[in-house]
Amino acid sequence: MTEKARRSSGRRELEELIQTCISIENRRFNPFLLDITEALRIIRRHSNQLRTLDDHLLDMRAITSVARVVGLQSANLRFQSSALFVDPSMVQQKLGSLSREQLAEFLLLSWHPIVELEQLTLSSTKEAKEFWEGMLSFFERRKRLHLGPFVSPDSADFGELARMRVVEEKAYTRKMQDLWKELKESAEKDGRVDYWNFVRGSDFAETIARAQLVSFLVTYGYANLQRKGNSLLLVPKARPDPHTEGSPLSFPIPITKEVLIRAK
Amino acid sequence: MLFFKRGRVPGARSWELKTGLGKGYTKVLEQLDESLKDLDLEVKKVEPQTLSDYKPGPDDGEEESRYFVRLKGTLAPKEARLCGWRIDNLAALAAALALVVSKQGRSERKELETVIGNKAGRWRALTLMDTFLRSGYLEEDEEGLVKLGWRTRAELDLPSLMMLLAESKAPSAESSEPVEEDQASIEG
Repeated sequence: MTEKARRSSGRRELEELIQTCISIENRRFNPFLLDITEALRIIRRHSNQLRTLDDHLLDMRAITSVARVVGLQSANLRFQSSALFVDPSMVQQKLGSLSREQLAEFLLLSWHPIVELEQLTLSSTKEAKEFWEGMLSFFERRKRLHLGPFVSPDSADFGELARMRVVEEKAYTRKMQDLWKELKESAEKDGRVDYWNFVRGSDFAETIARAQLVSFLVTYGYANLQRKGNSLLLVPKARPDPHTEGSPLSFPIPITKEVLIRAK
Repeated sequence: MLFFKRGRVPGARSWELKTGLGKGYTKVLEQLDESLKDLDLEVKKVEPQTLSDYKPGPDDGEEESRYFVRLKGTLAPKEARLCGWRIDNLAALAAALALVVSKQGRSERKELETVIGNKAGRWRALTLMDTFLRSGYLEEDEEGLVKLGWRTRAELDLPSLMMLLAESKAPSAESSEPVEEDQASIEG
């Protein structure tokens, strides 16, 4: 083998050794996986082929990497002899089998929370005052954001806020009462009304809102929901009759645009 | 000095106490510890690196100890809930700490998220990891490995936690099933 080939193979071996050491440092392998005697033998074998600065740096990196692994082996031995040593695979198995309540209880039995209080101090108050005084005015800061001409704040009345959906025009209970009244009127003839015909609003958003209100009407006993074949029927009650006994049945109704089109 | 939080971390460093109380500050702390017993509190000294790992460099052992006041006894589940802790958060913290300890104080973040995810749901695992890192129970080092944080060293009796875990027996299969996604919450 030529000297060049020998040097190239030596570099490769050292690089592989460094990579192994890095993997061990990153907890991918057990530190005892590396045979230190063999690692030192590799470093020693290539020590007479060091020519350039890069070769020497590589050699130095290999030595320090091996030294770190020796340190990890030492820490590992100290850890294994301490009370904290538990096999990681056993811990993972235990964690998988224990309930959340049990784990929480174990933590609580070993937990002594720190008592800490937060307060204003003279120095923090001073700092806040200096910050406030040093702060640019609102208009100066606004200029930096390039937001264009400043529009003065304006007042908005209740109706406008309701249109913007910031506030509700009617209280929820009132809305429910109105819808219950509407349901009773719609069902005057047959005593019941088709669910989809009743919840359908002028647009999809309104339909969703009506369906939600209807779900509350049924939950609170203002109406009954009956299923006959493929159709759903709403039967209003003269008086609200909340279900006090037994467990209520949850009945999800998906609202898709296709369903609404079919109901038209 | 011990009770009030100055900056991010509560408690006081030994040099701060030395400056404030003089050379005999340890005697004062012993007396304080005695007085706090009636309130079920104690003074806890935390060494810079309790779980030692090999760390080359000239800084070894140069950091100062820190003193905290902590609860001497332990909390009941109900009391913990009153402090804003949910059962699944406590369980997730226990799982994370146990795993990091078993891996000699360092573990990969992804592995921890998987273990927490089995207890608290995958999405909550991500936020809980951030919470534990932010509050100081865990710390992330420059290599992206997660290790035990200052708060764990101050608040947790790790040998007791590991002992309880090692001695534990699994409950019935029904309650030990891993949770689906975000169905882990016990209370709102």
